[in-house]
Amino acid sequence: MKRTGALTAWLFLLPAAAVFLLFVIYPACEIFIISFRRHSFVGTGSWVGLDNYARLLTDGTFHAALLNSLLYLLVTPVVVTLALGLALLLEPQMRGIRFLRSLTFLPVVTPMIVVGIIWKWLLNEDAGLLNAALLGLGLSSAKVSWLSVYPLNIICVMAVTVWKGLGYYAVIFLAGLTAIPHELEEAAALDGAGPLQRLLYLKLPLLKPTIALCVIISSIAALKVFDEVYVIIGGSPAAEQPLVPLIFQSAFLDFRLGEAGAMSVVLFLCTLGFSYLQLRSWRES
Amino acid sequence: MNQLRLILRWFVLIWIAVIAAGPFVWILVTALKGSEDIFAFPPALLPQDPGIRNFVEVFAIVPFGTYLLNSVLVSLASVVLNLLLASLAAYPLARMDFRGRRWVFLVILATMMVPEQVTMIPVFRLLLQMGLLDTLAGVVLPTCVSAFGVFLIRQHYRSIPRELDEAAVMDGCSVLGIWWRILVPLSAPALATLAVFTFVGTWSSFLWPLIVLQDPAHYTLPVGLNALLSAFSANYKYLAAGAVLTLIPVIAVLLFFQRYLVKGMLAGGVKG
Repeated sequence: MKRTGALTAWLFLLPAAAVFLLFVIYPACEIFIISFRRHSFVGTGSWVGLDNYARLLTDGTFHAALLNSLLYLLVTPVVVTLALGLALLLEPQMRGIRFLRSLTFLPVVTPMIVVGIIWKWLLNEDAGLLNAALLGLGLSSAKVSWLSVYPLNIICVMAVTVWKGLGYYAVIFLAGLTAIPHELEEAAALDGAGPLQRLLYLKLPLLKPTIALCVIISSIAALKVFDEVYVIIGGSPAAEQPLVPLIFQSAFLDFRLGEAGAMSVVLFLCTLGFSYLQLRSWRES
Repeated sequence: MNQLRLILRWFVLIWIAVIAAGPFVWILVTALKGSEDIFAFPPALLPQDPGIRNFVEVFAIVPFGTYLLNSVLVSLASVVLNLLLASLAAYPLARMDFRGRRWVFLVILATMMVPEQVTMIPVFRLLLQMGLLDTLAGVVLPTCVSAFGVFLIRQHYRSIPRELDEAAVMDGCSVLGIWWRILVPLSAPALATLAVFTFVGTWSSFLWPLIVLQDPAHYTLPVGLNALLSAFSANYKYLAAGAVLTLIPVIAVLLFFQRYLVKGMLAGGVKG
């Protein structure tokens, strides 16, 4: 490798480094400081030690939001299992399957605001298509209040998250399945292994790293969820929503920066374990 | 038996298609509905007098054209800056030997572990001090380069034979020349992947613009649609029309650049 002056190297790095420093690294440190202060948006506020954290310990809304965030993690097993099934269905090269793959990809790239508008309309209690279908088919005797009753409302939003993410994880699984050598499957088939056995004893063990990756990504996304919650059930009480909407409300509507900062730190610590695992899998590739 | 299995398989696949595409079809049907009451129950499955009236009227009841222009500006600026900054930063990380290189790369990768949701309060304060609140620049700047982008381009640079650089140096090419004449042109596929990925991400971006933008004249499409959702939820026809319009570029990307999109998703394992 050619020795180039460190100055040249840093000149190329400078713009990106400045952005990372200013908008990621410095804020990631400052959020801890904010969490120890009584704060407004201007100025530095006053030091209150662990007061904000102590307040969180007795804050019922925060507990409810944290619980909802944990509930939201249930998206992970559902979306990963369904995506694996979808990938297995979309794996064979058949006529029309490419089109179907693109179709399952459409929700993935659709902006969440549009997804929210679509589903809020489908789940509308009075005029929604879903209630009309359930009543029409005789599956329900009365209109279901999908979005106004807890915990059904947050479960509906979780279902929307699953619907939007499914195609994304399926693509990752499809890549994992394609990487399995054909000879292995043929050999297993020759030895008399049926489709189910090949799935359980051949494909699943080989897909382990892929499954782990999907679990990590989906769990981080679940902890960070905001958009679909805000758009679909944003009008519900904060206690019926996960953590990030509560942080948003505390900071930008109630201006309680210190407490919002403490909640942000809690969120940071929750995601950190998952994202460390993700970073490691990234560096290996 | 085989026949039966094939039929069963297609039955399942068709259901998948319905679940994936059905909601989109329904919002389109709603957007095309004319004079009828869309809150009628049960809803009419087909519009009585279908037309594009809602698409025209949504531009009149809210500054939809302004939202659209802002979204285009923000997305273009974001794509250009992400490509430029990532391809610049990736060069020394892939090709130069300087003290602290490994360390710098690690720190850049580590920024991936910091969610935007955690830094939004300090970044808001920072933009306030910089006077960039309620500006499109304030929307673009915090995400104008990503660890994913730097990583992606660096990996690609490393796959380009070093002999090309050396030959160029012999011919009197400068350091900047190597970057511009060799690495950048040969990285077109990786740059395209990053461009498509950044565009889709910025076009959808919601939380940050929602925080930064206050004046409706500065709203991007997602923030504008959200305002429409809170103010006009009684008239879902306009909302449906706005949603369909917002989808058009996304569908175009899916039709023409799906390959790059998938490549990016597999390379990163990152999700916005």
